[in-house]
Amino acid sequence: MKALTANRLSDGEVVFWKAGQWVERFADAELFDDAQAAAGEAAEGHAKSQPTVVVEPYLIDLIESEGLWAPLSYRERIRALGPTNHPTHGKQAEGGAVIAALQHAHGAARSTGRVDLIKRK
Amino acid sequence: MYQYDTLDREFLADRAAEFREQVDRRLKGEITEDQFKPLRLMNGLYLQLHAYMLRVAIPYGSLNGVQLRKLADIGRRYDKGYGHFTTRTNLQFHWIKLKDTPSILDELASVDLHAIQTSGNCIRNVTSDPYAGATAEEIDDPRVWSEAIRQWSMLHPEFSFLPRKFKFAVTASPKDRTAAKVHDIGLVVRRARDGTLGFEVIVGGGMGRTPHVGPTIREFLPANRLFSYLDAILRVYNRHGRRDNKYKARIKILVSSLGAEEFGRQVEAEWEKVGVDGDLPDTEIARIRGAFAPKAFDTLVNRSEAFEQAKAADPAFARFARNNLKPHKRAGYSIVEISLKGIGDTPGDATSDQMDVIAELGELYGQDDIRVTHEQNLVLPHVKLDDAPKVFAALQAAGLATPNINLISDIIACPGLDYCALANARAINVAQDIATRFADQDRAELIGELKIKISGCINACGHHHVGHVGILGVDKKGEEFYQLTLGGSGAEDAAVGKILGPALPANKVTDAIDTLVDVYLRERQDGERFLDTYRRTGDAPFKEAVYADAR
Repeated sequence: MKALTANRLSDGEVVFWKAGQWVERFADAELFDDAQAAAGEAAEGHAKSQPTVVVEPYLIDLIESEGLWAPLSYRERIRALGPTNHPTHGKQAEGGAVIAALQHAHGAARSTGRVDLIKRK
Repeated sequence: MYQYDTLDREFLADRAAEFREQVDRRLKGEITEDQFKPLRLMNGLYLQLHAYMLRVAIPYGSLNGVQLRKLADIGRRYDKGYGHFTTRTNLQFHWIKLKDTPSILDELASVDLHAIQTSGNCIRNVTSDPYAGATAEEIDDPRVWSEAIRQWSMLHPEFSFLPRKFKFAVTASPKDRTAAKVHDIGLVVRRARDGTLGFEVIVGGGMGRTPHVGPTIREFLPANRLFSYLDAILRVYNRHGRRDNKYKARIKILVSSLGAEEFGRQVEAEWEKVGVDGDLPDTEIARIRGAFAPKAFDTLVNRSEAFEQAKAADPAFARFARNNLKPHKRAGYSIVEISLKGIGDTPGDATSDQMDVIAELGELYGQDDIRVTHEQNLVLPHVKLDDAPKVFAALQAAGLATPNINLISDIIACPGLDYCALANARAINVAQDIATRFADQDRAELIGELKIKISGCINACGHHHVGHVGILGVDKKGEEFYQLTLGGSGAEDAAVGKILGPALPANKVTDAIDTLVDVYLRERQDGERFLDTYRRTGDAPFKEAVYADAR
């Protein structure tokens, strides 16, 4: 399972793809299962043609957590939640089942999506 | 402190206006992200995990109240009501919007601040002694030379695209509070037997993935020849530094591959060519020096009755005085360190309200002079002992009176994976756990000076290589693990720490620190700091205990 994410150009906010729109909550993100892999890649291609809307769109891998989906990598979970030292900052402040599932997800793997960005720093 | 003139102010206003135009063009799609990125980085603007991060330069860590209030104001209006002081004595805002940045640069410029040269392969903000102008130890005021270097290096056309970033430290005291030996260039002010002022020149120190304690390439450089000599060093580096591999591009790699002696020889040869034309006229140094002339100190006696009475009446104040007050060169004055390491708080963070309190205390009781330390604390360098109880009370009310300077809970930590796009692991939570474990101040004082420094990746913004105990976050198959190093120091006895053993899982780190402390307390001989004991015993007893526990 995958989701498409990026940072919004105008304010840097972490955003997720949902049927041609960008949404702020991971809970609202469109999820692409293996059968929809081509749709995920098409969405990524579309996102890359929106350079005035988002920066560096990329697909992230998801895992199951508490019956819901959560980003596989720890880095992506922090992006989707907010910093762990300030529970009231970022998207985690809102709470809810999906947020809790992300907070409890385990079995992290290093994000691959940001590698380009890291290299180019 | 140094005051900008009309020309400086016009330049900053122009620069902010230029960035406004660049941001506008980016938002309209007239320039691509690839074209825009170097422009935003030249203005200190990074894109991190949750938002943009703006790194504001605080020249040699020196601020006045108006500037600190402005930073507080920006934190309140454009961020989430706080800022993060870094190991480079800068301030980072972690929740910045691109569209707000031009206005923030205007706000900064209104108080002579900016974010220029806080990123990129140029000469970055100079680190200097936070006790400058206040400590009796110093031979000269290092801010004079730091400011001169700032002016020389600002937008220097020849040194704006170096092989890699370049960091200076300038200190004038035998006790090094700048980590001079792990900077690209460390300058230590010396006085020759005949009284001539000069510098010991240390080149090629650094941390990151290949840590080096910098070698001295010249024992004594007359102060009036400083800038021609710096030109020569930078020219040799610019010519021969490796541009093919960013991991080998810092000057430390060049110095270590040539050897300090050969590097020094090449610098001397280049220096001949530069000649005295590259030097700053004495009149210019004198002009800059004038800006740092000491303000009027009152003539006081050493003993302050108000101070002694407050200590006797309030054990909390006595403890604060013991740990956070440092000797001042003038009788009846003190240097007050303000810890940004509240137990369980984020190292280096200050809320906007706290910044306002510190600005006011600086104005009321500290000659309007505030300093940032590379250990992520703040300093009021000139406080009368008579006023110290009032300063303490105000700090205490603002949650800023943690009496832990140089103690085990005074931990350096980079922002780590909670914010930074480069990090492999978190650092802040590790610092919070350790500080909380050692919250008992009696125990912390019993342990004494122990510098723990934590980085969330090998780039070492958290100075882990030079921690008495260094902690490096690594990613082991996607899990946060932490590698311990022992025996490092960023002070005058600089050393790179040695890796103790295999990295530990996150939930074992604080226990391991506890074990290290137990071994130290068992092994220490009278007067020894943790570092001294480690240096005497070697790592064997520490290693044995930590890995026995881990098994």
